[in-house]
Amino acid sequence: MTQYTRLELGLLVFLIVMTLVPMGIIFVAVAESPYYLVSGEPVNDALQATGITVSSVKDFTWNLPGATGGRIYVLTDNSGETVTVATQSFDSAESRDAAVRIYNTQSVGRGKPVGSLIVLGQHLVYVTPAHSGILERLAPELKMRFPPQKGL
Amino acid sequence: MSEEVGEENGLPSKKVLGLFALAMINVAAVLSIRNFPSMAVYGWSCIGWYILGAVMFLIPISLAGAELATGWPQGGGVYAWVKQAFGEKGGFTALFCEWSNNLVWFPTVLSFIASTLAFALTPALANNPWYMFSVMMIAFWGTTAIAYFGEEASTKFGNVGVILGSIIPAILIILLGLWWMGSGAALVLPPLTFAAMVPVINVSTLPFFATIILLFAGMEMAGFHALETKNPQKDFPRAMALSAVIIVVCTVLATLAIAMVIPANQLNLASGVMQAIEYFFKAAGVPWLVGPMAVLITLGGVVSLAAWLIGPAKGLGIVAEEGNMPPLFDRTNKYGAPVAVLVIQAVIGSIISLLYVFLPSVNQAYWILSAMTVELLCIVYVLVFASVIKLRYSQPNTPRPFKIPGGMAGIWLVGGLGMFGTIFAFIVGLMPPSYFTTSPHTYVGSVLLGTFLLAVPPLVFLKFKKASWLKPAGGVR
Repeated sequence: MTQYTRLELGLLVFLIVMTLVPMGIIFVAVAESPYYLVSGEPVNDALQATGITVSSVKDFTWNLPGATGGRIYVLTDNSGETVTVATQSFDSAESRDAAVRIYNTQSVGRGKPVGSLIVLGQHLVYVTPAHSGILERLAPELKMRFPPQKGL
Repeated sequence: MSEEVGEENGLPSKKVLGLFALAMINVAAVLSIRNFPSMAVYGWSCIGWYILGAVMFLIPISLAGAELATGWPQGGGVYAWVKQAFGEKGGFTALFCEWSNNLVWFPTVLSFIASTLAFALTPALANNPWYMFSVMMIAFWGTTAIAYFGEEASTKFGNVGVILGSIIPAILIILLGLWWMGSGAALVLPPLTFAAMVPVINVSTLPFFATIILLFAGMEMAGFHALETKNPQKDFPRAMALSAVIIVVCTVLATLAIAMVIPANQLNLASGVMQAIEYFFKAAGVPWLVGPMAVLITLGGVVSLAAWLIGPAKGLGIVAEEGNMPPLFDRTNKYGAPVAVLVIQAVIGSIISLLYVFLPSVNQAYWILSAMTVELLCIVYVLVFASVIKLRYSQPNTPRPFKIPGGMAGIWLVGGLGMFGTIFAFIVGLMPPSYFTTSPHTYVGSVLLGTFLLAVPPLVFLKFKKASWLKPAGGVR
C-alpha cells in the first residue's frame, strides 16, 4: 500500500480547505432572504413612494411550479432609460428557492445571468438591466421596506 | 477509430483524437442552448453583441490558442503555454484558476441539468432538494466515471453527446425559425436595419458587455488533450476554426430564430430556458417536441460539464507528473486518466453542490460565486494572451506551424484585444448590481478574497516542492 508523508497529506487537506473556505465565508456572510408572507405588492408600493414613472403594467404568471402570479412593470425616467421589473409570488419556500436556483443556472456563457433577482419574502423580483439609475432610486425604498435579515 | 501509441512525460499515451474530435471538445465547452433566450431579448442588436464578443474574445482566443497549441503541443493546455512564457508559477496558477473556477461553476451547471431533466419528467420535481441533489450527483459522478475510462471513452461520449445535446437542438430551433418565416406568420422583430443591430453601450449595459466577452470562454479546452492528438500541429488550428464556425453559426441563427418568434416581454429569463423553449415550440405548433428537447438539452448540459471537468483535471494531472504536486495527485489508472485529481475534484464539487442545494435563501451568495467564476477565468485568459505576446519575443525561433498573421503588429493587436477584453471583464465583474443588500465593500471584498484563495494554492505547492515528487521516465517513482 502506498505510504504518503505528512507533507503530502497536509497539502491535500490544504487544497480542500482552500477551495471550500471561500464558499463557506460567502454563504455565511451574505444576507439571507427567509420566506415570509408580505401583504400587498412590494414593487408597486415602493414605486408609488419614489415617484418613478410606470410606462406599462400587466399581470403575468411565470411558468414555474408554485408560482402564484405577479406583474411586469416597464419603468422609464426623464433620461429615457427603461427598466423592466417582473414580480412573482410563490406558495412555499421550496418553490421560491427552486426558482432562485433556476435563475442562477441561466448564466450567459461562463458569466453571470442577465438581469438581477431580488428576494422579498414570498416574492421574487426580476429586474433587467441589473444596473440602472431607476433601480438605484428604487433600491433604498425596497431595502427600507424589507430590511436584510442577516449578513454583513 | 484508429489509434497510435506515443510516449510523453514517460507515460504511454493513446493518440485517439483527430480534427473532428478536437473541434467537438471546444463545441461542447462553449455552445450552450442556455445562452439563446438571454441573447434573444436583445432582438437584432444581439448580432452586434455577438460581433463584439467575437472580436474581443472569440477570434483572439482562437488565434492565440492555435499558435500556442501548435508551437508547444505538450500536454497541459494553458499550463504548458503559460509555463513557457512565465515559468512554472505562472503556468500552474493559470491552470489552477481554470480548475478552481470549475469547482465554483459545477453546482450551477449541475443544477441546470437537474432542473431541465425535471421539466421533461415533472416540473414540480425541481422544487424538491433531494431530487435535485440526487440527479446532480448522478450527473457529476457519472461524468467523472466516463473520464475514468480515459480519452477514448470520453471522446466517444463527447462526440455523440455534443451532436445530440447541443448541435441538433440548435439546428432544430433554426429550422423552426425558418419555417416560421416561410409560413408567413407574424415576426416579432421589426425589419432589419443597421441601426437595429448596433448594441447600446452605456453604464447600464457595461456588465452585460463584460458578460458577452466571456460568452465564448472554453475555446482553449482542446489544448488540454494535446498528448492524445494524432497530429496536433496540423489539427489544432483547423479544429479551432471548425469549432468557432459551428459555435457562431448555431448561436447567432438560433438566437435570432427565438427572437423572431417570442416577444421580448414573454422571454422571462428568470423562469429559465425551458420556458422559452416551450413557448417557442408551442408557437411553432410542435408542443410534443418540448419533452424530447428537454432531454436533449439535459444531455447538452452533461456534455458541457464533461468538457470542463476532464480538460483542467488532465492539466492538473500533468502538473503533478512534472513534480509540482505530491505523488498523491499524479495517480493515473490503466486508461491514463488522472484518477486522483478526478476523485478529489468530485468530492469537493459534491460538497459545494450540497451547500448550493440545501442552504436556503442565499440568492446573493450565488451571484458572488458567479462573480468569482468570472474573475478566475479572467486571470487565466490574461495570462494566455500575455503568453502569446511574450513568447514571440522570448522564443521567436520556436517553430509555430500556425502563426497569428501580421507579424508583431498582428500579435499585439490580437493579444492586446483579448487582454483588454478580459481585464475589462475582470474590473466590471467587481460591480455589484444596483440592488444588493450586502454592502458594496463586503461584495467586492468577498469576490476578491474568494478569487485570491482559489488562485493561490499553486504558490504553496511550489514552495514545498520536493525533488522526489518528479516522476522519472517510465512512470515509476
